[in-house]
Amino acid sequence: MRRYVLRRLAVGVLQALGITIAVFFVIRALPADPVSRIVGMNPTPESIKQARHALGIDMSLFQQLLTFLGFHGDGVFTGSLGKSWVSGATVLSEIAITLPTTIQLIVTSFIVALAIAIPIGMATARRPGGKLDKGVFGYGLFAGAQPEFWWGLIFIFVFYFKMGIAPAPLGMLDPELTAPPAVTNFVLIDSLIAGDFTAFKSALGHLVLPVLTLSFLLVGPLLKMTQQSMSRVLSSEFILYQQASGLEKKSIGRSTLRSALAPIITLTGILFGFMLSGAVLVESVFSLNGLGQYSVAAVLNLDFPAVQGVILVISVISLFVYLGLDLLLAKIDPRILVK
Amino acid sequence: MNQTEALLSTRGLTVKYPYGDVANVVIDELDLDLYPGQIVGLLGESGSGKSSLALAIMGLARHPGVVSGEVNFRGQDLLKMDDEELRQIRGNSIGLITQKPRQALDPLVNVGKQISRVYRAHSQASKVEAQIRAVELLRSVGINDAERRVSAYPHELSGGMAQRALISMALSVEPDLLIADEPTSGLDVTIQAQFLDRMWERARDANIAVLIVTQDVGIVANYCDRIVIMEDGKITEDRATVEFFANPHTDYGKKLILSSGADAKASNADVAVITSPEILRVTDLRKTFEVDGGKRLQAVSNASFQIHKGRSLGLVGESGSGKTTVGRLILRLADPDSGEVWFKGGRIDSISPKEFRKYRSKIQAVFQDPFDSLNPRWPIERVIREPLDLHTQLSKEEKLARVKELVSLVGLTDDILPLRPGSLSAGQQQRVSLARALATEPEFLILDEPTSALPPAARADMIRLLKSLQERLDLCFIFISHDLSTVRELCHDIAVMYLSEIVEMGTSEQVFSAPSHPYTRALLDSVLFHDPSNRRVDRKIKTELEGEIPSPVDLPQGCYLAARCPLAEQRCRDDHQELIQIGPSRSVRCWKSVEASER
Repeated sequence: MRRYVLRRLAVGVLQALGITIAVFFVIRALPADPVSRIVGMNPTPESIKQARHALGIDMSLFQQLLTFLGFHGDGVFTGSLGKSWVSGATVLSEIAITLPTTIQLIVTSFIVALAIAIPIGMATARRPGGKLDKGVFGYGLFAGAQPEFWWGLIFIFVFYFKMGIAPAPLGMLDPELTAPPAVTNFVLIDSLIAGDFTAFKSALGHLVLPVLTLSFLLVGPLLKMTQQSMSRVLSSEFILYQQASGLEKKSIGRSTLRSALAPIITLTGILFGFMLSGAVLVESVFSLNGLGQYSVAAVLNLDFPAVQGVILVISVISLFVYLGLDLLLAKIDPRILVK
Repeated sequence: MNQTEALLSTRGLTVKYPYGDVANVVIDELDLDLYPGQIVGLLGESGSGKSSLALAIMGLARHPGVVSGEVNFRGQDLLKMDDEELRQIRGNSIGLITQKPRQALDPLVNVGKQISRVYRAHSQASKVEAQIRAVELLRSVGINDAERRVSAYPHELSGGMAQRALISMALSVEPDLLIADEPTSGLDVTIQAQFLDRMWERARDANIAVLIVTQDVGIVANYCDRIVIMEDGKITEDRATVEFFANPHTDYGKKLILSSGADAKASNADVAVITSPEILRVTDLRKTFEVDGGKRLQAVSNASFQIHKGRSLGLVGESGSGKTTVGRLILRLADPDSGEVWFKGGRIDSISPKEFRKYRSKIQAVFQDPFDSLNPRWPIERVIREPLDLHTQLSKEEKLARVKELVSLVGLTDDILPLRPGSLSAGQQQRVSLARALATEPEFLILDEPTSALPPAARADMIRLLKSLQERLDLCFIFISHDLSTVRELCHDIAVMYLSEIVEMGTSEQVFSAPSHPYTRALLDSVLFHDPSNRRVDRKIKTELEGEIPSPVDLPQGCYLAARCPLAEQRCRDDHQELIQIGPSRSVRCWKSVEASER
């Protein structure tokens, strides 16, 4: 077990490193010059040369890689992801601000989505063709056919503009509130640490619409998967046998759910990795300064250190998420051997 | 026997599977009465609704089926009960044993927990008490080291052990009615006999009603008091077993009885000196496979035999005995670790695959699964023609003529030639396989369980066909099977295999009339004759084997059968047994049998 985890981690670290190095070369192969963004219009050859030197891209590609990895001063191996070419701040400090916003958004969305998808999926699997099942089918067609930012806009229109029950879609807090002192950069947690319940409530309020938007989309695939997995288990021989043995309903329900859980967990993991940077449209609609926004800006600004940093961080997080899920699956299913 | 009150009676019992607005009716307004102490055999072709009926009796249907009508159990209608009342009857008063034991167990929970869950659902026992009871129950159904097995997960059990676990669950609460849906379909014959004997005794002793769903005429003839035949969701025949065998009413019933003509005498077996030339000789063949953890599984050891022209050898044994591997080694589908295979005086085990190719047309095979052995995208004509394309220089017309000849040889007609394998029945598919094997006029055939995957009627037809071909073409073959009556009918000589070794060899006549090795005797004893006047349960002396077949990875030091053999002594457990000749063309691997023959 411990050896398995260590081996997975070792392999994962190598993978993350490999991905980062690949990205390092691929972005440098783009037919775009990051210097042109910095030197402004009508640059002199002098200023271009200076800017190239300042960014360190006057060195050979190999030297640049060594610098990035930390063979000349701080780098990946010493826990530094370099400085952003746009803001001058360290990439790590910028990710430390944007990542919690995104994690907070998607974790809450997943909790909400799973809390909706699993019970409804179970119910519809039990009664295929029932009213609820038809409703779910309609929802699937409806929700799946339209992009997420569109739903975000509709929710803003209805709940903020028309009904006025949601806060303005501008960030995580009301503009008149001061942010609680940053400890974890998770606004919800920080406000609780500071004992600032007004800020906490405001942050929670600001999360409602983006979470609604994201979970509205996440529920679709999760619900479908729950339904399929549940109806597979429900028509399985052993559930039938448990009924024939006169086990209590609760006990049968527990066995069913446990057996149906594995594909749902796997899907959750895949969606989670995807959402880390895929929530960008929702982040922009609600003006949330998250990782998705940050990474898009980094790419558009040709901010190479930021792009490399974001990709490394996402792959490391995905690595842990997948490892955690695999361990969870092994815990649920004794047939999955963890050697 | 109808004076007693019915324990359970169904009236207008119906099971439907809704598909949109239409419903597929699987059980159609069915009336059936079951009496205490009576064992009823429920027969019918697959798809006739037998299994659905077995469940519907408990008010159950496979998801998403719907049960309606009346099921009166001790005067109460199960279908009108609320969930809790029904729950207390299921698994408590009515027990179920299903066809696929391993699938019937929750794969995520260990066996002990599953047994104790059922026990606790119907008693006030605490968790600890239930766990202790689970161990007792497992031991009571003959599982060795039950303490260790309770914590095993279903995937760690063999089919036989999973079946025992299910039985222990079904019997944990002493039901009044036991429903067994093809309870022995995945089991080896000796284990099947063990299980059915025990169930029969239970039913007699505790006066419980039993409903056995089966396709096996042998089981019905040997263990059932009454027979119910289902066709298309309806009962078409319902009579006492003896009456049914004397005079079946339905066509299906007649077909069943007809197909059971397999109890025929041994084939023209004689111990006379065989003068025909030797075709195949196998000496000291040995094969092991590597399994997880670097251990080696012994599949075949010290197999030696020879086959002369026009004769046939039956290779008999239970699953894991190595009989199929012997066939594969001869066909060069696997290479032996040691030993020799000679075909018409030429050694074929050590030649290169390229050199072996010229033997391919001379040595052909038919395998167990009829559909898997045919290319589903090819028309039958091409399937049968393929060996002609590979091994002959015939013209197109000659090939077609030969294909037609082969088709009629195996009792099929030309109109199947353009069809694809998928549209043929299993019996027809197997005939096509046979026609393909015969295409190049092989001198030697390996028939690996060619009848095992066929339904009873098709099996009987196939045996008749093989028998007539044997006479007409003077075929020489090895017939691999676990079905003793088939082997007896088709083969001149027999080799009985147990755990990688041949334990007894002789002519069919010798082995069947006077089996010598204890394993052979047990195997013969577990044959269920299709004759209610010759029932296994009525036989006085039975050679019963205990427990499970040991693992071929950790083989015992002495005789491989010692742990299960009723005659075993210390010497059996210490000394490995050799195959010793005890008469003309007859040998046995058991010192006790050898001594007995010398007396």
